[in-house]
Amino acid sequence: MSLPIIVAAYSLLFLLFFSLSLFLFIVVRRIIVDYQTKTFEKHYRDIEKSILEVVSSLRPELAKEVAQKYRAHPDILVKVLMEYANIITGQARELLQVIFNQGLRDKCLKDLSSKRMVKRLRVIRLFVLFSNPSEYSYLLGLLQDKPMVKLTALSALARVPTPETLSYIFQAFEQDQGPLARLYFNIMFGLGNRIEFLIRQYLKKPLLEEKLGLLIELVGAIRLRPLYEDIVVFAGHPDKEIRISVARALGRLLIPESVPALAALCADQAWEVKAQAVKGLGNLKNPETLGLITEALFSPSWHVRLNAGHALASLGEEGIKRLKEVALQNMDRYARDMANMVLDDLVYLGGAA
Amino acid sequence: MVEILKTAFTIISSAILLYFFLINAFYLLFIVLSLFGIFHYRNITTYLSFKDIFQLPLVKPISVIAPAYNEENAIISSVKSLLSLEYPLYEVVVVNDGSTDSTLEKLTECFHLLKTSRVFRKVVDSKPVRGIYTSREYPNLIVVDKINGGSKADALNAGLNISKYPLFCAVDCDSLLEKDALLKVVRPFLEDPERTVAAGGIIRLSNGCSITGGQVTHVELPRNFLARFQIIEYLRAFLGGRIGMGMMKSILIISGAFGLFRKDIALECGGYRTAAIGEDMDLVVRMRKFLYDKKVPHQVRFIPDPICWTEAPESLASLAKQRNRWHRGLIDALVHSRTMFLNPRCGIIGMFAFPFYAVFEMLGPLTEIIGYIMFATLLIMGKINYPFALIFFLLAIVMGSLISLLAILLEEYSARNYTRLRDIIILSLFSLLENVLFRQYLTFVRVKAYYDYFKGKKAWGAIDKKGFAQARQQLK
Repeated sequence: MSLPIIVAAYSLLFLLFFSLSLFLFIVVRRIIVDYQTKTFEKHYRDIEKSILEVVSSLRPELAKEVAQKYRAHPDILVKVLMEYANIITGQARELLQVIFNQGLRDKCLKDLSSKRMVKRLRVIRLFVLFSNPSEYSYLLGLLQDKPMVKLTALSALARVPTPETLSYIFQAFEQDQGPLARLYFNIMFGLGNRIEFLIRQYLKKPLLEEKLGLLIELVGAIRLRPLYEDIVVFAGHPDKEIRISVARALGRLLIPESVPALAALCADQAWEVKAQAVKGLGNLKNPETLGLITEALFSPSWHVRLNAGHALASLGEEGIKRLKEVALQNMDRYARDMANMVLDDLVYLGGAA
Repeated sequence: MVEILKTAFTIISSAILLYFFLINAFYLLFIVLSLFGIFHYRNITTYLSFKDIFQLPLVKPISVIAPAYNEENAIISSVKSLLSLEYPLYEVVVVNDGSTDSTLEKLTECFHLLKTSRVFRKVVDSKPVRGIYTSREYPNLIVVDKINGGSKADALNAGLNISKYPLFCAVDCDSLLEKDALLKVVRPFLEDPERTVAAGGIIRLSNGCSITGGQVTHVELPRNFLARFQIIEYLRAFLGGRIGMGMMKSILIISGAFGLFRKDIALECGGYRTAAIGEDMDLVVRMRKFLYDKKVPHQVRFIPDPICWTEAPESLASLAKQRNRWHRGLIDALVHSRTMFLNPRCGIIGMFAFPFYAVFEMLGPLTEIIGYIMFATLLIMGKINYPFALIFFLLAIVMGSLISLLAILLEEYSARNYTRLRDIIILSLFSLLENVLFRQYLTFVRVKAYYDYFKGKKAWGAIDKKGFAQARQQLK
């Protein structure tokens, strides 16, 4: 037999053996996984039953017993507790906390320094559900962790909005670069007007344009009216994105005094800024802006025309009258078509567009 | 002369052996990388509730664009499935591409559509729009009726013109999406909104599955053998190939059945190329080329989660039409953006992904067919080394099966959709059978695609599908 045949034959034998082993591995693994799933489900049902007994009897000693009994199955206990923590409130919820403290707390604290990211993430989730605010200092160690863990820890900290935790969140926002900065928006949004003083403070700092824009957007999203003066100064910012954010935020704050600023933004060179400013004017529903919005309906930009059409519709009877007038004129067919579309939407969809 | 022929045969057979070795090495590499990708994804999704993050105001709204051409069987369940997606703000734009059946009538009847005088910006080329319809009950549904443009790209361009949101999701009307598909696929756009330009996810086959309320409720293997072979192919392609290539940041294709894109970049590239045969790959390749040319850092991401279900053809003729079109699409997209080939300015795409697709995916069938022809020639000439030929043939079959088995293992580690052990054993058996006749048939179909491509064939080739409504009835 020649060498190529011997090599090929051995390769074939090896691959055959490997494939068969792999097939057996898949089958045996599946059998084991199915068995584990069945066992898991059985334990899950048992723990679920015990927990339901605890929450219906409202006896703390029973909760302690359950915690002791199922200490050997921490993963299943975590699953059940997580499931029920989201749907149970009041006194019964406190009993779940007793089970957590007795059965899982020590393990959780140990897992905070686990090498496996999934364990650290699990701990954060459990902390969010069951820990006392005083214990949140444990999470501070995770602020130096991988971005995913860090952000989850910050989300958890946001649930205990003390001045200390809030300042941690803003410090991290200032330090983090690139795409992560955007994720802070969602964390901060959930904090509502508690962060008013911090936003004011950070708006005065020399932040990157992207971060500054996010803070301005945040003012509009949370409707922090006292910060009106702080953001309106950015209406003349050289960065287009900042001006868009200002126009959008002003349109959400609904402060009557913002009309001149929005009117000035309506004359911006960038159509994106104009479009947002016109939308903002529509939100303010000020009849004095009728002429300005009607003028915007004749803009060369489709987006500006679209927002102007809807802004006129939101101004009520007078606005609709203007829309009808534009729909009847023949000087500018683009403005006419847009007016017709908005009127159609009003008829067919009751304003939805 | 004989010596020249002998040398030529030796060179060709060595090249084929090298090709065989390299392609299998790459597939194995992708599978190993996929395993890491799946574990990483599983880790971050187990205890992290993405819904908490996504259902907040910064998430960008999405326009779901679904082109439909003669989809009367599937259109209603598909649109219902699209309307029941979980996402804070989205619109569904169904583009009726001049269907000759009752697609539009069925939509009008079911969703009480009303013709409106909606105006839109014609940013990218498409055939004229005959009418735009909206529904009073479903304000986020828009149906566009247009003249047939002869390509899906034309219909998608019409949808792009009419859509109003900054991200768009191109879907097939014969596909069903998981309820949280948009939430899952938008994750990369939230993590890195500046650099992410496109994202896709795993497409699974719905043949044999139970479908209720526009959702796949029970997964089972189909009875049809062709569909079973295709299930293995999809597992290998998505779990093995795409996730692995995604780990290498080398994604060059986002399936037309489900993909999320940044609209501004797609529009800057001129939208879908109406002359393109495989518009899905063509758009991704052109977007990447455009961004590399402009030196804009970007990424295309792949989510290792099953998010979209589609129906596989169950007859040889339909399968041939589908694969013929896919291969013509591949050739067309690669030829059109050929300047990316081994272009260091295009980074890993130019130096690895593009050459990989060109050499192994595009030229693969030609290499295989040359191998078969050589084998037949040597057989006729009586020059064949029978023991070596037999062992090599068996080696190829076992290697192919091994890669399919590894893909099944990946499925077991990830979604584990097939809940019965019997299904896994059947799939393993079919992974062996797939390499005999089925594989050769597809090679022949793909070689014929070359002939059709150079002849200038552009047609889609209608593919017979049962439609989800009918499939469900048959299962009952």
